[in-house]
Amino acid sequence: MSLDFHQVHQQVRQLGENAPLRQRKLQALRERASRLLSANAEQQEHLRRKVAELVEGYDPNLRCALPQAEALTSHRPLPPLPAAATLIAADGSQINPDRHQAVEYGLINVGAIQMRYGSSHAPTTWTRCSLLYDEALYTPTGTLTDSAVALRRDLSERQALVELAAQAAPPVITFTDGPMELWGAKDNDGAAEFQQSLQAYLAVLTQLRDLGVTTAGYVDKPGADLVVRLLEVAAAAPADLPNLKHSRPLRGVTDTDLYRETLAPGERSAVFAIQSQSAANYRGDLALHFFYLNVGHKDRPWLARVEIPAWVAADPARLDDLHAVLMHQAGILGGRPYPYLLHRAHEVAVVTQEDRAQVTQMIELELRRRGVPVGEVSHKQANKDLPRRARYANR
Amino acid sequence: MTTIEIGRLLRAGTTGFVVGCRVNQLDAPVFGGLVRVPLAGDDQVYGLIYDIHIDDDGLVRQLVTAEGVSEAVVADNRLNRNVPVEMSVLAVGYRQAGRLYHLLPPRPPLSLDVIYLCQPDEVRQFTANGRFGYFRHILRAKDLPVGELLAAHIQQAQAAHAAAGYRRWLNDAAQELITLLRDDYPTLMAVLGALGEIA
Repeated sequence: MSLDFHQVHQQVRQLGENAPLRQRKLQALRERASRLLSANAEQQEHLRRKVAELVEGYDPNLRCALPQAEALTSHRPLPPLPAAATLIAADGSQINPDRHQAVEYGLINVGAIQMRYGSSHAPTTWTRCSLLYDEALYTPTGTLTDSAVALRRDLSERQALVELAAQAAPPVITFTDGPMELWGAKDNDGAAEFQQSLQAYLAVLTQLRDLGVTTAGYVDKPGADLVVRLLEVAAAAPADLPNLKHSRPLRGVTDTDLYRETLAPGERSAVFAIQSQSAANYRGDLALHFFYLNVGHKDRPWLARVEIPAWVAADPARLDDLHAVLMHQAGILGGRPYPYLLHRAHEVAVVTQEDRAQVTQMIELELRRRGVPVGEVSHKQANKDLPRRARYANR
Repeated sequence: MTTIEIGRLLRAGTTGFVVGCRVNQLDAPVFGGLVRVPLAGDDQVYGLIYDIHIDDDGLVRQLVTAEGVSEAVVADNRLNRNVPVEMSVLAVGYRQAGRLYHLLPPRPPLSLDVIYLCQPDEVRQFTANGRFGYFRHILRAKDLPVGELLAAHIQQAQAAHAAAGYRRWLNDAAQELITLLRDDYPTLMAVLGALGEIA
């Protein structure tokens, strides 16, 4: 046992003592944020201008929601399900190269599941596995990092959607877990890899658009404060704008806090665009938007953030179909609403520790069969892998 | 010989084995059914299905809490997800070098060996061999639903014998059980009670 639980206990006690005060403070901030939301509900144009002024003049890194046509407080009820649609969900899993293991390799596994609404047939599953070895473990600037593998995985998921959507009966609705924005390391080593992946990703999104696909990213239990940040901008006096990037008067309040009480089960919020430096990579039809959706039940709201590209945000029929389908999908899992196909895509894609051990063994056996020496597990890893204590059993 | 493959072996021991099958293979195997597993050459291990179960997992438990489960979701869980139906089989005999024995097999079958449902002629051959020696394997297995297992098996075996014109097999089997259980009145009554349902 390495953790000093006495130290932890003392700090937990302190956390507990602070908690009621923090809760009261946060509640006051939430109430203030709600008032700001109501006060600025119909100020879409004014807020867009103010955000533009802030970005151009003082804070190009500002990240916040950007209102569109709908009022900030609008809530759209659940539309009817489309008569027919093909749903495709994709997810990915990976094994990161690990120099501490006997053999160094990476693996990306993408899984997808496709079903036709209105059909009683079982969905079809699809997987593609890519082993990364030899030269594939290197980038122009060094070795393949964990975040680089994650980037390739994210890209592979969307490529799978394009491949499957091209063969599917329209209309096609696709979704993946997490934001639509591609995330990756942008430091010196990762920048080139990220740019390359980003260009490929934008090309894939364009293909989805050209195929007429409605595509979305689903974020469960979102912690974002994009709308809250917008409200901070709204509340800032002109004289405060220059220093607003250092000021977070509503810190701790999330967008979920704002909409949890105002969105009834099945309702979605207004659609917002995303203002951020990184989101600026997504232009025109690919520009990133989002809305909040209450997939919960009466007395137990549960909000998700759904990210969509502009070509979906601009089409009320697509938006309604996506809204209805996501609600229906989330309802399939009963008391823990989450899109059923996304969970299944995860099951199809996941690579377990046991899988990893088997792949490692396969590679070791193949190398030995070919007379190629196999490396050793590092001593650091070997010592970590030592079996833990076993209880004495009087047999 | 018509063969009906009902699954593949998951794990095995000398006294029995567990078979896994896909949901769409579930029409063939029945409780009390006689099955065989081919070994090397023409050797076979015979067994009686005494349990068929379908395990749940977290996702299935979550789905049952929802209001209404669509046919597509049901089909997805039955056909796509790796939750096989498991059948537990009690070893009751084997064939070696062309001869049938109502003894435990010399060695168990191996992983992924295919299991077949015995056809009526195979059922007749096995159950008519000797003097119901395989009954003792069933009667010894106190943790199994002995009465129901015997009733189910005897019903199927009687049907196979009757189809070949021999209608007294059921009476012969019941007489043997009475003899074997003459000193175990509670079990005898339970078995006769179950047999009474099929007579």
